Amino acid sequence: MTEGITMTPVIEVAQARKDAEPVQRDIVFDIQKLTASYGKEPAISDVDLEIYRNVITAVIGPSGCGKSTFIRCLNRMNDLVPGAKIDGKILYQGDDLYASGVDPVEVRRRIGMVFQKANPFPKSIYDNVAWGPRVLGMRKDLDERVEKALRGAALWDEVKDRLKKNALSLSGGQQQRLCIARAIAVEPDVLLLDEPASALDPIATSAIEELMDELKRDYTLVIVTHNMQQAARVADMTAFFSLDVDEGRRTGVLVEYDETAKIFTNPSDKRTEDYVTGRFG
Amino acid sequence: MNRDRRRRIVNRTMEAVATVAAIVAIAVLAIVVISVAKRGAGAIGWDFFTKPQALFGQPGGGIANALVGTALLVVMACAMALPVGVLTAVYLTEFAPRRLAVPIQVVIDVLAGLPTIVIGIFVYALLVIGHTQSGIAGAFALAIIMLPLVARATQEVLLLVPSTLREASLALGVRRWRTVLGVILPSSVGGILTGTVLAVARAAGETAPLLFTSSIFANSVQTDVTKALPNIPVLIFTYSEQPDPALHEQAWAAALVLMAFVLVASLAAKALLARSRRKLVG
Amino acid sequence: MRSAFQQDLDILEATLQEEGQLVLRALRGAIKALEQRDEELADEVIAFDDDVDQRYVQIEEGIQLLLARQTPVATDLRLVLAILHVNLHLERMADYCVTIAKLTKLVPEVDPGPRFVEGFEEMGSRCEEMIRIALDSFGNRDLEGAESLVELDELIDRANRRVVERILELGGDPEMREYGLRMVIVSRALERIGDHAVDIGEQTAYLLTAEFREFTDASHPSPRKA
Repeated sequence: MTEGITMTPVIEVAQARKDAEPVQRDIVFDIQKLTASYGKEPAISDVDLEIYRNVITAVIGPSGCGKSTFIRCLNRMNDLVPGAKIDGKILYQGDDLYASGVDPVEVRRRIGMVFQKANPFPKSIYDNVAWGPRVLGMRKDLDERVEKALRGAALWDEVKDRLKKNALSLSGGQQQRLCIARAIAVEPDVLLLDEPASALDPIATSAIEELMDELKRDYTLVIVTHNMQQAARVADMTAFFSLDVDEGRRTGVLVEYDETAKIFTNPSDKRTEDYVTGRFG
Repeated sequence: MNRDRRRRIVNRTMEAVATVAAIVAIAVLAIVVISVAKRGAGAIGWDFFTKPQALFGQPGGGIANALVGTALLVVMACAMALPVGVLTAVYLTEFAPRRLAVPIQVVIDVLAGLPTIVIGIFVYALLVIGHTQSGIAGAFALAIIMLPLVARATQEVLLLVPSTLREASLALGVRRWRTVLGVILPSSVGGILTGTVLAVARAAGETAPLLFTSSIFANSVQTDVTKALPNIPVLIFTYSEQPDPALHEQAWAAALVLMAFVLVASLAAKALLARSRRKLVG
Repeated sequence: MRSAFQQDLDILEATLQEEGQLVLRALRGAIKALEQRDEELADEVIAFDDDVDQRYVQIEEGIQLLLARQTPVATDLRLVLAILHVNLHLERMADYCVTIAKLTKLVPEVDPGPRFVEGFEEMGSRCEEMIRIALDSFGNRDLEGAESLVELDELIDRANRRVVERILELGGDPEMREYGLRMVIVSRALERIGDHAVDIGEQTAYLLTAEFREFTDASHPSPRKA
C-alpha cells in the first residue's frame, strides 16, 4: 500500500513540461520608473517591470493605454518619433539602454521587432531574410542562415520552392511569418511583437501563436495584444496596462503584472478583473 | 422648388463650361500637332535623320548633328541633375529636420518656377563670358532646369514608400543610410525614373538657355563637349529665321520630332509610375 | 497554441486515470482490512487518501487554468466538463474507502465470520469491476461499456440488500448490534461507490452524445434503485 506510486509515461511528460518552466528566472529587462512622453503629455508613466528570459510576456490593456509605446521603448524605436522623450531607466541585461554612448542601432540589432501589419520588403522572399544579415556583415553561410530563419519561423516548407518570388505574393499570415524570419535571421536576443496577429485570420493567428511557443526556447518574447484570449493562450507572464484619467489627462499606467494564470483566474487588482471579465474597455 | 431648379441650372452650366474648357485644351493641342505635322511631314525621310545640316545655300541635308548634340546635352544634364536631385529629395524626406526641410523646399519650388531665360543668362555669365560657348555650359543650364523636377518627383515617390518599410529595416538594427540605399531607393526606382523622363522631355525642348550657351555651332556632327553642340531647339529657331522655305519645312519637321519625343516620354513616364505604384502596394 | 492545449488535455485525462487506479488500490486495501480486521492496513488506507486528494486538486487546478486560458469549445469543452465531474466522483469513492477503513477500526474485536466476508468480498469485487469499466469506457469513449454499468449496479444493490438482511439476522447481542450498525454503513458505502461508477458512465455518455441524461431516474421507478 505504501510503496511508491508507479507513474504512467504521460504523467512523466506532464512532469517534464512542468520542469521545463524556468524556475530561476533571469531578468532581461529591468524597467524602473519608466515614463515615456510625446511632446509634453506622458503616454505612459511610472512603469516598473521585470521581463524574464525565455518567457513570453504579454502586454494587454484598452486602446490608448500605451502598450505599443511601452514596447517601442524597449528597442528604442521611439527615438525615431520626433518629440519622444524617456524618463526613468531600462536596464537591459544590467546595462542602461538609454545611457549616453549607447548606440540605438546596436540596441535594435539585439532586440528585434515584428509589427502589427506585415511589412515585407518589396524584394524576393530570400532577399527579405538575407538582407539584414548581409548588411550587418553576417555574410558567411548566408543560404544556411536564411533556411534556418525560415525554418525557425515555420515557413520553410511553404516557400522553399519559390525563394526567388516576390514576398508580396505570399498570404498575410505567411508574410507575417516571413517578417518573423527576417527578424530572427540577425539573431537577436529578444523579439518584440506589436500585435503580430491582429490583421490575420484565426488559422494564421494560431500558426503564429504556435510559433511563439516554439520561439521562446531561444528567445525572450514580449507581445502586445489587444486580444486577451491570445495573451491567455500564449503568455507566461502578463502585464495589464490601463488608462489613468487625471484632470482630463490620460496616461497609461501599469496596473498589474503577474503570472498569466494568476491574471486570468484571480487578478489582484479590481481594474484587471474588470478588464479581463469584459466589464470594462 | 425654385431653389432646386436654380441649383440644377447652375450645376448644368458649370458642367458645360468645364466640358467646353477641356475641349478647347484638347483642340489647341490637336491644332498644334496637326499643323506641325502637316508642315513638317514633307521633310521627314531617311536623310533627315542621318545627314547633318547642308552647307549654306545648298539643298537637302538633315538634322543628324542636332539630334546627336541634343542627346549629348541631355545625357550630360541628367548626369548632373539626377544625383543632386535624388540626394536632395532623400535628404529632405529622410534626414532633414523640419526647420531645414521647409526652407530647402521653398528654394526648390522657386527654382522650378524660374524663367529659363534667367537660368540661361546666369550660366552665360558664369561659364561662357571669358571662355566660349560649350556643350558643358548648355548641359549645366539644362541640369538646373531638371533639378527641381527630379527632386520633386523623387520626393513624392519617397513619401509613397510606406513608413512601415523604414521601421522594418531600422528594427533590424540597420543604419539609416543603409536603409535608404537598400530598401527605400530600390522601392522607388520606378518613380524616380518617371520624374527623370519627364525632366528630360522638358529639358530637351528648352531653347532660351541654349541660345546663350550652345548656339554657335558647326554644321557637322559634333561630339566635343567643350565646344558648342548643335541642338534641335536652336536649329528650329535659326531655320525659322531663314528666308528659304525648304529650311522652314525642316524647322517644322524638327519640331515634329521634338514633339513626338515629348509625347513618347510622357507616356513612358506614366507607365513607369503605374508599375512602381503596383510594386509598392503589392 | 492548440497543440500545447491538446497536450494539456491529455495530461489531465492521464492524471484522471491515475487517480482512478489509486481509488482501486484504496478500495482493495479497505476491503482487505475489513475482512482481516487489520487496523494497520486500515490506517494506511486512511493515509492513502492524501494521494488521491493530491490528484484531485491537481486536476481541479488544471481545469481552472485550461478554462481561463484556452477557452475550450465543442468536444474539448465536453471533455473538460466531464473530467471535472469524473474527478469529483473518484474523489468521493476514495472518501467512502476511508469511511470503510475508519469503521473497520471501530470494531476490531468482532470476527465477521464467513457469511459477511463472502458478502463484502462480492460487493468489493463488483465495485472494483465497475470502477474499472467506468474508467475504461471513459478512456476508450465506449458508450456501450458505460451503459452496461447500470446492470452491474443492480447486482451491487442486490448484494447490499443481502448483507443488510444478514445484519438483521444478527439478533440482540449488544456487541453484535453495534457491529451490525457499522456494517450497514460499510455496505451502504460500497453501494454508493457503485452509484458513482454509474455517474462516471453518464459523463462518458455526455462526452459522446452531448446530451445531459441520467441512465436511471431516481424520481421514477427504475431497475437501478428498486
